[in-house]
Amino acid sequence: MAHPTSAEHSSRPTLLRLAEIGKTYHMGEVDVRVLKHVNLDIYEGEILAILGPSGSGKSTMLNLIGGMDRASEGTLWYRERDMTRFSTGELTRYRRETIGFVFQFYNLVPTLTARENVLVSTEISRNPLDVDDVLGMVGLTDRMDHFPSQMSGGEQQRVAIARALAKNPELMLCDEPTGALDFETGKKVLRLLVEVREKLNKTVLIITHNAAIAEVADRVVRLRSGEIVEVHENTHPKAPEEIIW
Amino acid sequence: MSVLDRKLRRELLGSVGMILAITSIMAIGIAAYVALNSAYRNLTIAQRHYYNECRMADFTLELKKVPVADLEALKEIPGVVEIRPRISFAATVDIERTVEPLNGLVLSLPNERRHTINDILLKRGGYFSDRRDNEVIVNDAFARRHGLHPGMYIHLLLNNQRQELYIVGTAISSEFCYLLGPGTMVPDPKRFGVFYLKQTFAEEIFDFRGAANQVVGVLSPDVRAKPQEVIRRAETLLDSYGVFNSYPLRDQASHRFIDNEIQGLRAFGVINPTIFLVVASLVLNVLMTRLAEQQRVVVGTLKALGYNNWQIFLHFLKFGLCIGAIGGTIGSGLGYWISTGMTSLYLLFYQFPNLVSGIYPDVIAEAVLISLCCGILGSFNGARVVMRLEPAEAMRAKPPAQGGAIILERLRWFWSRLSFGWRMTLRNIFRNRLRTGAGIFAAAMGACVAVDALMLAEAIVHMVDFQFELVQRSDIDLVLKDDRGFDTLNELRQLPGVDYAEPMFDVACTMVNGPYSRKSGITGLIEHPRLTRPRNKEGEPLRIPASGLMMSSKLAELLHVTAGDTLTIIPTKGLRHPFQVRITSISDSYLGLVAYAEIGYLSGLVGEEFAMNGAQLAVRHEPEVREALYRELKQMPTLQAVTARADTIYNVRETLVKNQRVFIYLLVGFAGVIFFGTVLNSSLISLAERQREVATLRVLGYNEWQIGGLFARESLLTNLVGTLAGLPLGYGLNVAVTAAYDTEMFRIPLVNPTGVCVAVVIVGTLFGVAAHLVVQRSIFTMDWLEALKTKE
Repeated sequence: MAHPTSAEHSSRPTLLRLAEIGKTYHMGEVDVRVLKHVNLDIYEGEILAILGPSGSGKSTMLNLIGGMDRASEGTLWYRERDMTRFSTGELTRYRRETIGFVFQFYNLVPTLTARENVLVSTEISRNPLDVDDVLGMVGLTDRMDHFPSQMSGGEQQRVAIARALAKNPELMLCDEPTGALDFETGKKVLRLLVEVREKLNKTVLIITHNAAIAEVADRVVRLRSGEIVEVHENTHPKAPEEIIW
Repeated sequence: MSVLDRKLRRELLGSVGMILAITSIMAIGIAAYVALNSAYRNLTIAQRHYYNECRMADFTLELKKVPVADLEALKEIPGVVEIRPRISFAATVDIERTVEPLNGLVLSLPNERRHTINDILLKRGGYFSDRRDNEVIVNDAFARRHGLHPGMYIHLLLNNQRQELYIVGTAISSEFCYLLGPGTMVPDPKRFGVFYLKQTFAEEIFDFRGAANQVVGVLSPDVRAKPQEVIRRAETLLDSYGVFNSYPLRDQASHRFIDNEIQGLRAFGVINPTIFLVVASLVLNVLMTRLAEQQRVVVGTLKALGYNNWQIFLHFLKFGLCIGAIGGTIGSGLGYWISTGMTSLYLLFYQFPNLVSGIYPDVIAEAVLISLCCGILGSFNGARVVMRLEPAEAMRAKPPAQGGAIILERLRWFWSRLSFGWRMTLRNIFRNRLRTGAGIFAAAMGACVAVDALMLAEAIVHMVDFQFELVQRSDIDLVLKDDRGFDTLNELRQLPGVDYAEPMFDVACTMVNGPYSRKSGITGLIEHPRLTRPRNKEGEPLRIPASGLMMSSKLAELLHVTAGDTLTIIPTKGLRHPFQVRITSISDSYLGLVAYAEIGYLSGLVGEEFAMNGAQLAVRHEPEVREALYRELKQMPTLQAVTARADTIYNVRETLVKNQRVFIYLLVGFAGVIFFGTVLNSSLISLAERQREVATLRVLGYNEWQIGGLFARESLLTNLVGTLAGLPLGYGLNVAVTAAYDTEMFRIPLVNPTGVCVAVVIVGTLFGVAAHLVVQRSIFTMDWLEALKTKE
């Protein structure tokens, strides 16, 4: 298997390194191995797409990177620190300070307004961005007092991005961020993620089964049956407006 | 307010129905706690103050007559601090405006005011003056009922003479806090009063110069708890003067009634709140477990955002805390309100100078703390579940619920005959074990409380009916001052309006069976009495044995005897020769300790041919005939007490039965809240969980009522099973309660529970149906098209 570290990106500092990562789930009497020997470096400030069909292990990888789950094998380095040795408390702190999650189905708290949903994450972070600025950036200044049930899918996903962003995380983890959205709305959300990288220099990791979406990324990692089958470098990432699916 | 707290607030407001169901059960538990404990405090504080103010006696000795000088020896008994000899006599009272003769108790008090044992508290007017001998201080309640006030005159028949007495004041005293007249169980200040005379005047009227027939005394604190030895020594010392009764404070009639009530409050102050609070915690547990399931993804998201377990745990715990706080606050307010009601009700029965409904911060604090603990307890499981969820696991949809066959499906014959609806109902009941268990437990507790309450209600009615309709059937009871012969009966039969008269002969005595002895009395009746008809447990009348004793079951139990045994009887008056008597039969009685014998046989035992000191009359009911009879009775110097029983029964029914009913219906209402709250809560949860199922059924063509029917079956079946399980529990509780009230003064019978059980099943079902109607309304208003779209 090719080592994913390439010449072009090796100039950027590595944010995370997955070394021989494996994950096995015990489902009753059967063990299901969903990730095998995964080796990958994630660099600061890149947009990385993880591409694969359902069941390829994308979400599991995202959970491991996001500190929501623990690897069964291998080592996961966050900068100089071995995350596999993190205590529950350290994992929580890692999620709080380092990661911004964006989910396919937004996962907003239904009983909180848009603004309050963003506050949920800023209230526990050490160095949050201004909530209203972030809401302005995602274009929701006018809708900030609406509840999720009063918003369209695209608006809800923008709230979710604002919520992830407002914590001022190093890494934005986006799980099928356009999966529940129509084509036009999906492109707007992608635009937003690209801007997050461009304007705020965040690392953005997008998980998707849609190859078109991966075209906006700097690098594309292809997963199949829990293994990395290809790491492809986009020398010319497309602008979200250019892609079609 | 933090964002999570805002979320919490909105979620609480969003599930107002469920929250209300739980908080109302919790509030009732807390209300019961606050009410019963506050009432307990109110009574104990008032009692302590009152006893201190009046210097309540620690013991009382009743004698025939004793020279005061000879009582000096009593003071030598270790533990006796102070004694007061006094004169005590029964009297009839003649108030001109009142047709019927009234009964009274006359007591002597020092001529000059001093803080004496069993002192009085003046309410109106003043103490005795030097101006006249015939001054009287009247019991305040009696005075008020008859419009008597200082400066007026009242006539009492004292020692065969009609005495005109000048009222100088009205007063109350702690020894008559529960003022009982002869032959009743409820105070009736209209027909019985206490009259205090100057010591010297009493001595003169009753021919008791330098003598007394009652001694009240105060003991030192070290022997107060165990006064038997002192009393025994006092009795021995005064044996030659005919001690016919002696008792420590705890056996004093008024004290025992109050103490019974206080002890009852204390016991119920634990039992009732516990039942309600356990149910509330359990129902809350069901809700919180459901909430935890429902909020899996939210929890996962929060964890993904970096919230730690403790923050999430606390957030869920706050749900319970809020419910606890609301329940505690409402319950405390409600409890104070109930305790105020109870306290004002007590004032109908007890005469206290300062019985007030207090707010006790520590009781309230305890109550709120308890309700918060219940809230925590109820939400702990749910909070623990969410705390334990791994964030990645939380984000995944929950694996489908167990869909395996339930145990009933093994009964193929039975299962194959069930409709689809019933199969669904039974599967849901069996699969949601926690919810079903909680529902059954709650309904069982509701039924338990209701059965006990209704059985008590029926028992009191039964007791009053049994005692005052079946056993005692006379219209008027008379007590004579002395033993009389047969002539007196003939005289009484000649009185206007008297249809029939039966003699009675009460012999005060000590009954001894080996180590067991009791001061009691034997009532002599004719062999086939019509006006006092002792009955057995089944209510069948019993014949008075020609020889030997018939004894009430409670007395037999205390003396450890049964029919066929022999007992030693020592009369406390007259010759006092001990004799042996055989017990021939056992009767049932709910009031006092009674023993009956044939009047001629009993007379013979005390050395007389025929003696009577009381009579029972059956009289005509026309008012003018009654009036004529009363006029005659008022003139009879031989009478010690006259009781018109119709009035007594009316009074008992009006006060005791009516007021008990208020409590009992309150309890049944409380039980109803359990039924209602539990069914509502579990059905609403079920509905929230199964929105898609409901939507699917709507698509298939089911209407709202058919769908409602599926939910109703589930909740009402659970409710019914719980109710049925609660019936024996309620019966058991009632057995315990009646055992606790099985005292020498009165017993509460254990009634046949069948009718009550049927009533409770109906009540439980009605409350369940009422709760279901609320659920049905939600089914009507549910947006099922939206539910169909919702992502699971």
